[in-house]
Amino acid sequence: MSKIDPITTQVIRNALKAAADEMMISLIKTAHNPLIYEVQDFGLAITNHRGEMLAEGSGLPGFMGCLGPTVRSGIRELGADGFAAGDILLANEPFETGTHISDTAVYMPIFYEGKLVAFSALMAHWADIGGKTPGGWCPDTTDVHQEGLIFFHDKLVDAGALNQTFMRFILKNVRFPDLVHGDLNAMIAACRTGAKRYLALCERYGADTIQRAMDQVFDQSEAMMRAKIAEIPDGSYSARVFMDHDGVALDKPYKIAVTVDVLGDEMRIDWTGTAGAVSGPTNHPFIGTVAMSETVLKSLTMPHDPMNHGHTRPLTVTAPDNTAVSPLYPAPTDSYGYVAEMVVHLIVKALSDAIPDRCPAASYQMFGCVFYRMDPRHGEPFIFIEPLDGGGGAFPHADGPSGLVFVGNGNAPNTPTEVIEKRYPLRVLRHTFNLDGAGEGKYRGGFGVIREYEMLEDNILIQTMNENTIDRPWGLHGGGGAGLSRAIAWAGSEREEIITQRVYLYGPFDKGDIVTQISTGGGGWGDPADRDEALIQYDLRNGYVKPE
Amino acid sequence: MSRQRLAIDVGGTFVDFVSLDEETGEIRIEKSPSFGSLEARFFEGIDSLALDLTALKTIIHGSTMVINTIVQEKGARVGLITTKGFRDVLELGRGNREEIYNLFYRPPAPLVERYLRLEVSERLDARGEIVKPLDEREARAAVQELKAEAVEGIAVVFLHSYVNPVHEERMRELVEAAWPEVAVSISSEICREWREFERSSTTVLNAYTKPKLARYLSAIGNALARRRFGGTLSIMQSSGGITSLRAAREGPIRTIASGPAGGVIGAAALGRQLGAGNLVAADVGGTTFDVALITNGKPLEQTEHRINRRPVLQPTIDIVSIGAGGGSIAWLDDSGGLRIGPRSVEADPGPACFDMGGKEATVTDAQLLLGYLDPDYYLGERLRLNRNRAELAIHERVAAPLELSLLDAAAGIVHLANMNMAYAIRNITIERGYDPREFSLVCYGGGGGLFAGFLLNELGVASAIIPMNPATFSAWGLLNADYREDYAQTCLRSFDDLSAEELKEELDSLESEVRRRFARNGLATDEAALAFHAAMRYHGQEHTVKVPIFTGDLGADLSALRRRLDDYHEQAYSLRLPESAAEIVSLQASILGILGKPVLKPVAAENGQPAIKGKRDIVVRGYAGEMRAAVHGRERMGSGAKVEGPAIIEEWTSTALILPDQQAAVDAYGNLIIKRAQP
Repeated sequence: MSKIDPITTQVIRNALKAAADEMMISLIKTAHNPLIYEVQDFGLAITNHRGEMLAEGSGLPGFMGCLGPTVRSGIRELGADGFAAGDILLANEPFETGTHISDTAVYMPIFYEGKLVAFSALMAHWADIGGKTPGGWCPDTTDVHQEGLIFFHDKLVDAGALNQTFMRFILKNVRFPDLVHGDLNAMIAACRTGAKRYLALCERYGADTIQRAMDQVFDQSEAMMRAKIAEIPDGSYSARVFMDHDGVALDKPYKIAVTVDVLGDEMRIDWTGTAGAVSGPTNHPFIGTVAMSETVLKSLTMPHDPMNHGHTRPLTVTAPDNTAVSPLYPAPTDSYGYVAEMVVHLIVKALSDAIPDRCPAASYQMFGCVFYRMDPRHGEPFIFIEPLDGGGGAFPHADGPSGLVFVGNGNAPNTPTEVIEKRYPLRVLRHTFNLDGAGEGKYRGGFGVIREYEMLEDNILIQTMNENTIDRPWGLHGGGGAGLSRAIAWAGSEREEIITQRVYLYGPFDKGDIVTQISTGGGGWGDPADRDEALIQYDLRNGYVKPE
Repeated sequence: MSRQRLAIDVGGTFVDFVSLDEETGEIRIEKSPSFGSLEARFFEGIDSLALDLTALKTIIHGSTMVINTIVQEKGARVGLITTKGFRDVLELGRGNREEIYNLFYRPPAPLVERYLRLEVSERLDARGEIVKPLDEREARAAVQELKAEAVEGIAVVFLHSYVNPVHEERMRELVEAAWPEVAVSISSEICREWREFERSSTTVLNAYTKPKLARYLSAIGNALARRRFGGTLSIMQSSGGITSLRAAREGPIRTIASGPAGGVIGAAALGRQLGAGNLVAADVGGTTFDVALITNGKPLEQTEHRINRRPVLQPTIDIVSIGAGGGSIAWLDDSGGLRIGPRSVEADPGPACFDMGGKEATVTDAQLLLGYLDPDYYLGERLRLNRNRAELAIHERVAAPLELSLLDAAAGIVHLANMNMAYAIRNITIERGYDPREFSLVCYGGGGGLFAGFLLNELGVASAIIPMNPATFSAWGLLNADYREDYAQTCLRSFDDLSAEELKEELDSLESEVRRRFARNGLATDEAALAFHAAMRYHGQEHTVKVPIFTGDLGADLSALRRRLDDYHEQAYSLRLPESAAEIVSLQASILGILGKPVLKPVAAENGQPAIKGKRDIVVRGYAGEMRAAVHGRERMGSGAKVEGPAIIEEWTSTALILPDQQAAVDAYGNLIIKRAQP
């Protein structure tokens, strides 16, 4: 069969990317839930009829890599002839979709001239999924059923007809049915937008041309990825880390271990040595582990190439059954994000010996705090959820970035002091860099952040959810490790208490009490003795370091 | 005595001059390269149009100086004085990762280093009440410290100054008393909107660009006075309205989009005269492609924009800019895919065919090989294009590695560039809730004519309009602008317990402030128009929708305004929540001082004389082989003239390509209207 010319191939590749972008516009424009239209806690993709990714939209990187496997799981479950034109399916069983119950995949088979040619698919964090914690992110579940409703390739729309009973059942079992309903309609609309654009492309070029062109693109991307991997010195590279705890067994750090084998133009990432599936919800389903591994490989080698299935072919990811990165049913996974984030940092750490100039040191990982008052007898109820930004790991060629949100929270912005003080009974006394605890080095880690709050009313409680209360972001190549994240309750008073727990509920605080949230910096890169004089002067001039 | 008006549009590559004789409607244009001293270019242009400065009524100036200063990071050394505990806000920003795949992501470096960011004790609360008075001793010490550091400008940003500017205004007095020569910018003067990082960014950018723009404008102003210019010099703002020299000098941040705004205002004016209310304005230059939407005759606006990733809280026309134009570079990505832009060659050395040492293959090189451009008639023979250089670049960079023929490679480059532009237009329209098929396209800028036909087919718009003198259209657009002053005030209010009387009070105070600023900037005119908007949202949302407020809304209840939020929200987000609680986040007032507009002058009717200059072979992707295309001289085409594609229409500064199955017609005013031929 003749080859499709490179211009047509590129036009099709761009058109599929544009179709995925248009799905995203449709989703953001019509969703009701700020997690979708503001935090952009979602991923979108178009796959071929085999469930192999043709093009992805924007969103959280790990999600996009989960969509192909989700569709493939559906094909296994229902059979290739188990779909009809107009179907819309739901799937969120974490062991088949890769993250947690709250991230529900919605996907649609696309038929052209009676034949299944592709799927449009997306995954987004629902406003609620009926688990034990409103809105998801349960910190202490012990099995997956406590985390919410499970869908397993169920047709919400069957050949174009909405299943009213199924919809009613869903809405009766979630806490914010209006939001969920609005979001579901937005997700359906986005899938249909993807299908519409794909069909327009079929009208123009024919389904067969698109498939052959994209098979060629897969081959090209694979060949280039192989060439990039071949540039990495052969060898076996390992790294391991102990996570603080799983949210249930509070005194038990657990190990995540990775070995990256580079052999010619292939890479194998193996997670043997990782602790068995943990008792609390910080397990990361294997499909998600694979997706994050693929994401890291691409970020390290071909960051600017639009992603497709071909990039992932030279990579094999393996793990023994039922570890913290490959849990089996019915392990809880709702706080999977701690491990997902570590999977990224750990692969980078392992490869930093092989490709030092492409691997930054570790960043701070997670710091969330929730201020709230629920009992109306103490004043108007409110809830204020705020991730605290922190320090990024040093780059191999520059100091790390200061005051950025952790990787897993993507593009989510912090809340301005002027907005906080207008809305909540809080006054911010300081919002500034934490100059202690950035790793030293030829290039130092970025600085963490201090945000200090004074309570303006009584009976306010605070819940924090952190990482880096025991494990420190590491340095690389002689760079120093960073410090620990902390909170200080009743700061400056006789009751002052330093909070070192990873998950902790404290208070109640009364008017005038002060609480200080402190995130750590990132690790350093290279020997501090090699630090450039201009950088030393810059730090001294700006008070980033104190004169000795 | 003639009543001449002159518009001067300074761009990255050219300075464009358009003069209008108000009596005769005569338009004259001039174009000169924008290298060297801008002041020198300014007066050369005036001289080459042989204008009598003493008789000139108005000069309207669109300038890219402020945006270039920011993009090239060549602004002033600035010190920042801020609230104790918050000196790092400028560097902390909002903490979000815009590129989530990028392991080396970092936000832009702050324009004021930390040691020049000084804190003073003072504090207001969210209602603007004083919690801690300004410590004047610390304040004076901060000024002395910045003086010792020899900064060229001081920015002052205190928390909650958008509600109550008392401390910022006192701080300005203290600066002026201790150091009258230094330029000071206080945030509450520049924007009265919340969010301390965004306000800091805006204020610092203002201080950063102020000395350079002030020097330039003073030099121009003085030179004009020496040459006994007796009229007014006005400056284009990002909002699409013009303002006085004084206002621009104090608030250079108002003029960031001064360059592209002229074209959009021109497109809207053209649309009004042609009876077309919904337009996509597309400006194709050498390096960027700027798109804006005009609906019901008005450009879409926004209250916030970003320049080089830095936020700016100022009213501005909603313009989306992508890296695509004649100078865009064709390159192969890691997977061997052909990509066009966003990088482009600089004016020097330019595309390979300019024969000034450029080695990259660009869109212009491809257009030359495909026969769209006449190598001997580029910029009206001012530049001779070298076909061999273009062939070599495209062969080496694209054709050989992809194993394509030269012409297939060139046609592929042009096609992919067209598609990039089409996706940009498609995204801006659907993102804002519109269907591109309900719009007509106005294509201008030097490169507009070569893309118009492709975009017409690809987007399914009703027609593509190429105005007279497309290369200097943005300058002509400046002649259509009115004076404008905006004032916005954040005032978070729950809609449900807001009465019409309270809203009216707020609007009255807004009105008196905007009128005060309008008068202070010397913008008074015989006729003025006032408009109010509210930034509104549903409870729990972060984003707002800009909703107009009409006088009639302030009757017994505010239900009409509440319903309008639903309508506008549905337009923007395909969603209406009539039962939801709503809030007003900010109120905005704008005042227009209405000025006279140029009236399009009818051109002579087509007289049967052939306009054909010759014929050329052209290649268009999607059509087999070479096609014979007639080449028409636009200046010879009268109104009513019709051209069937494939055809080329040439004029001094621009070339238009009419595709097969398209028809171009000259309208009564000389505009070229391209439509799909009726089957």
